[in-house]
Amino acid sequence: MATLNETIASLDRLPALPSTSVRLVAMLAGGGANANLREVEQIVRQDESIAASILKLANSAAYGIPGRSFSISDAVRRLGTRTLAKIALETQVSGRLANAGVSYGLRRGSLSESALGGAIAAETLARRHHVDPELAFVAALLRDIGKLAIDALAGPDALEAIAAQADARPFLAYEREAFGADHAELGALLCERWGMPVEIVHAVRGHHEPPSNPADPVIDVIHAADCVARWAGLGLGCDGLLYPFNAEVRERLGTTRDELEALVADVHSALAPAASGLPNLRNAA
Amino acid sequence: MSRFQLPGNPSSLSSVAAKDEPLRALGLDRNGRERVVVGVADLAVSKDATKSIVTYALGSCIGVTVYDPVAKVGGMLHFMLPESTVSPEKAAVNPAMFGDLGIPLLFHKVIEAGARRERLIVCAAGGAEVLADDGHFRIGNRNRTILRKIFWKQNLLLAAEDTGGQHSRTMSLKLADGSIQIRAQGKDASLWPR
Repeated sequence: MATLNETIASLDRLPALPSTSVRLVAMLAGGGANANLREVEQIVRQDESIAASILKLANSAAYGIPGRSFSISDAVRRLGTRTLAKIALETQVSGRLANAGVSYGLRRGSLSESALGGAIAAETLARRHHVDPELAFVAALLRDIGKLAIDALAGPDALEAIAAQADARPFLAYEREAFGADHAELGALLCERWGMPVEIVHAVRGHHEPPSNPADPVIDVIHAADCVARWAGLGLGCDGLLYPFNAEVRERLGTTRDELEALVADVHSALAPAASGLPNLRNAA
Repeated sequence: MSRFQLPGNPSSLSSVAAKDEPLRALGLDRNGRERVVVGVADLAVSKDATKSIVTYALGSCIGVTVYDPVAKVGGMLHFMLPESTVSPEKAAVNPAMFGDLGIPLLFHKVIEAGARRERLIVCAAGGAEVLADDGHFRIGNRNRTILRKIFWKQNLLLAAEDTGGQHSRTMSLKLADGSIQIRAQGKDASLWPR
């Protein structure tokens, strides 16, 4: 168990996301208007894992011409700035989250898969509800980044012991009791420290407990997308389904059960190629 | 043969997990290990008594196991949503995603592998619910309902179940004896035999 001060102090010990990730977030969150092809290309070329993802995607059936293989320069021109920026960010964030969520009992890769599944759901919902889809994608991708902080604070089996005693209260309440802050708040604080745009900070902070008068509708979208990911079986640790679906969000978005269930199916299908190592950006073309 | 009427396009049904089928027929998972892992929206059938079939992270999804103790043939389904009508095109590619198609398919596959319907021991786990869902979505609940509806229509009984609540479960079926373990909230418990 930790006090709030200890918890906040521990954030400084967490390695930051690469500065290039922060640049990519700023480009994407600004409605893509700030995206600069030359700069994105430079980021791609500097990071081997991103370059590999980009080449794989450019040479896949969805984008490529069979029998022809593409160089990085071809791929950069072919995929466009926003798609490149999204793949680059997704690769970096996934790399960071792949081993995270251990304190929740998550298996390797679960948290990065859940981040991407939520991001795909958020992007689709955003298009339907007139919210910037790139902003929604990025915010959803980063929504559980605070679980890195919980991992660093929680001793082995600490959360499992809490979950075993849990009654039907939101899991965030247990996190606050144990650490003085929950993973949504800690994620927001991390994003703030790393210089992420304020829209992202707010969306990460509110993704489980959205404010009743959200300054930005993207928070509602991320909240719904998080539930969709959970229904698709993603990122379920010892916290299980101890997260509410906010009825006000449902009303504000006007979303129906059939719509969300179809989205659960879409998210599952979209992730199947991701599991095979191919970056998934179905909507990016 | 199964008494179930298989809905949908029959040619699509054989495509379930087709890429893993040769391995699964040998009772191996992708890495040739002792466990056959069933993913979300997936099913597996095996008659290799040295193996277990396991599925992780059942939240609102439901895991259904069937086991014939005489033939020692068993199978497991991990379905995600109750009804395929919400997404017929996804259902055509992967019927195991939906309870209404996946459950009949599981029976079909296990009987095809040598099990007898009248000997099958059927168990289920999962169907948890997000908190404070005020009756709008209730996916876990609806998953449990579709399971009961199909079983009632087909005059089948659930031997044991561990469903509901808000927690995630891991379910495993041992093919040697049909025993079923549930791991939830850090504890292991036997679902079958009771």
